[in-house]
Amino acid sequence: MALNPYDTPRGRFRARAEASRRQFLLLIGALGATGATIFGGFEVLKFMFPAATTEAPLKFKTDFTFDDLTGGVAGGKAKIGAAVRSITTDRVTVVLDDAGIYAVFLVCTHLGCTPNYVTDVVSGSGVDVSVAEARGVRSGNEKLANGWACPCHGSRYFIDSTNFYGPAPRPMDWVGIEVAPDNYFVIDRGNIVAYRQAGDGTPPDWRLKLDSKKDNGKTYGV
Amino acid sequence: MSATPKEASPIRAFMAQIWGSIFRHGMPTTDKVAARTALTNFFLHIHPVRVKKSAIRVSYTLCLGGLSFFLFILLTITGLFLMFYYIPSVDQAYQNIKDLQFVATFGLVIRNMHRWAAHGMVITVWLHMARVFYQGAYKPPREFNWAIGTLLLLTTLLLSFSGYLLPWDQLAVWAITVGTNMAKYAPIAGPYTRYLLLGGRTVAQGALIRFYVLHVIALPLIGFLLMVVHFWRVRKDGFTGGL
Repeated sequence: MALNPYDTPRGRFRARAEASRRQFLLLIGALGATGATIFGGFEVLKFMFPAATTEAPLKFKTDFTFDDLTGGVAGGKAKIGAAVRSITTDRVTVVLDDAGIYAVFLVCTHLGCTPNYVTDVVSGSGVDVSVAEARGVRSGNEKLANGWACPCHGSRYFIDSTNFYGPAPRPMDWVGIEVAPDNYFVIDRGNIVAYRQAGDGTPPDWRLKLDSKKDNGKTYGV
Repeated sequence: MSATPKEASPIRAFMAQIWGSIFRHGMPTTDKVAARTALTNFFLHIHPVRVKKSAIRVSYTLCLGGLSFFLFILLTITGLFLMFYYIPSVDQAYQNIKDLQFVATFGLVIRNMHRWAAHGMVITVWLHMARVFYQGAYKPPREFNWAIGTLLLLTTLLLSFSGYLLPWDQLAVWAITVGTNMAKYAPIAGPYTRYLLLGGRTVAQGALIRFYVLHVIALPLIGFLLMVVHFWRVRKDGFTGGL
């Protein structure tokens, strides 16, 4: 009579060992597959986040020169007095006042629309004209209480990009501007030189100096 | 040889076979045959075999779910026609819409049908939800269908939002700028969500093609699958009848 090898004490022990080994391998396999799926899923998801975009570069050159904006410099002052040049397509404005030149990235801090340049920004806002006029010293033609008004939800900003009306939570950012050797401006929208938190109405001191054509390095909040 | 009797004409027999393979029953003459007819026909079986008279009173449901579905069908058909002219490219999209309005025969009608049906569907879906809520029709055993319904509402709103960008005019670009910036306010996932939606940092070509794919394929497909479940559950959960 043939003896079933698994029907002996030693055989039963061996059967138990094999069963638990199979369970262990199954557990390890299941954990490995689950982990690989989760990890692989995250990796595959990266497909939906473009590693490179075809958007316009953040750094660009203006189509007007230093002299176009200032009308020439005499004794450290611009002959034209004060000026504002908005480049709507690139969402940047170049502001010239008595202290120098700066550039504001025209992206409304509320929900990202492009504010428009307006010559009477305080009208109907309950803010006095003198408050707006106190923002920066300007001589020449641009002495009005000018500033920025967002067409989407009516936020308003003084000329130095400080918000004072509407839902905008904080001032718009100032970005780096320099003069290229060919006298055109180079604006880098990726280089923020003045970043102000909500409620910070301090006018930044950063300026591109008119006499040296170099910035004074007085960055704010960055 | 005698002529084949009329009844045994092979053509007639063949036609009868085709007819019989499509319609498995003749005109229902009794309740039993009517029930079997409904059960064996795909289009008829969407309807329950038997409905209480009080449950089909128009003043009970105002047919808001049915209207929403009708508008969805209308949007699918008109949308299909719009796709023949529309190219999701930032250089061409706006001009394509102008072509639809002023060049394509009946293009203006198709576009306006799509537009007004879209507005209408958002309204009827909201009203449908309000009707279900005020009649307490979300209560057991219909909780699951209420949940499916909220997903369908979300799908409808996302379809409306994604379609908003496609004309590529000022309103479209800035509405999506505003909408996706709202998404950015969400904690932690916000900026990633915006980047995922736009395929970049600004509303540009990447955003247009993404919204187009969502609008014409992904969201309608999700909506359709949810509707299948929704309608099936409406039947299976039963009708209560009047209040």
